[in-house]
Amino acid sequence: MSDGTGPAERIWEVFRQEAEGDPMIHSGNVRAPDEELAMHYAREFYGRRQESTRLWVVARDAITELDDPDLLKPPFDRSFKRPGGYLIKHKLEAAKARAAEESS
Amino acid sequence: MTAPETPALDTVRRDALAQLLLATADDEFVIGFWDSEWTGIAPMLEEDVATSSISQDEIGHARALYELLAELTGQDADEIAFGRQPEAYRHAALMNHARTDWAFTVARRYLYETADTVRLEALARSSYEPLSQLAAKMRREERYHLMHLDTWLRRLAGSDGARERLAEALRTLWADALAVFSPVPGEEVLVRGGELPEPMATLRTRWLEQISPVLAGLGLPGPTADDLAAGAEDGRTRRTDAFRWLHGEFTMVAASERGATW
Repeated sequence: MSDGTGPAERIWEVFRQEAEGDPMIHSGNVRAPDEELAMHYAREFYGRRQESTRLWVVARDAITELDDPDLLKPPFDRSFKRPGGYLIKHKLEAAKARAAEESS
Repeated sequence: MTAPETPALDTVRRDALAQLLLATADDEFVIGFWDSEWTGIAPMLEEDVATSSISQDEIGHARALYELLAELTGQDADEIAFGRQPEAYRHAALMNHARTDWAFTVARRYLYETADTVRLEALARSSYEPLSQLAAKMRREERYHLMHLDTWLRRLAGSDGARERLAEALRTLWADALAVFSPVPGEEVLVRGGELPEPMATLRTRWLEQISPVLAGLGLPGPTADDLAAGAEDGRTRRTDAFRWLHGEFTMVAASERGATW
């Protein structure tokens, strides 16, 4: 704030939970000079229509960020690390056919 | 056949209850309209949304109280809210002042929210069930209004320039803030019947005991002897040009087409 009433404002990331047991989902952010006002503003922006059962308000500078492409997007084909990485459709069909043959 | 209740007492009680509801409703209504004037020009976008939302809440509380009153007296809630001349409003003199600057708004709201908290705590114990139920609901919302204002009061009090503005606003407002606890006409009847569980004078003392140490701790002024001695009789009846102007604003649409349905 420019009128000398507090330290420079910070950005706070807000996560909300719609119903008890639901995952916390990132909703957006608010600017506020401190945690207390950040909580009030988060409530007004993401809770005033009774759409939330819980809010998490986190100072953006308290978040540890990882966005290094060498770590997250390595240059080699890593498709085999994905659940769909192995194509087993044909193997499965062959196995089923074999099983059918053996039991007949 | 059961004997009817003493009609005289009934009317007296009903009229007194109507006065209590009207005073409380008008407080919420008028402060809601004053602070809605910050929409678009509050210190920052986030505060703009928050202040506007809180103002809406207050007008919502006023609506619920006007509806309770309308039920009691057989009037129409919109007509009570928008159909009266400025002199017929019964809000405390605290709400006679124009919006002014942010420190003034914070000072007024802090005085009002803390007083309203004490009043609602009492009304939640009212023997008039529709009122006690509504007061209990309102308390849940007023809780974060108070938290919000408390945050701002402490924030502004923490810097020299802002604290001086706050102090000046408090000095201007104290006498009129005490009018929130001006006796309501017919109050004795309500206190006897439990509709108003305690006299306004008792609530006023409780309020002063609660906020005086907070303000003193922040280096902010409490009421002077003159403020405390100021006549409470017309605390809810004197009106100002500032309020007449606001009244013109908030009745403009209703006045453009009397009795229109929406």
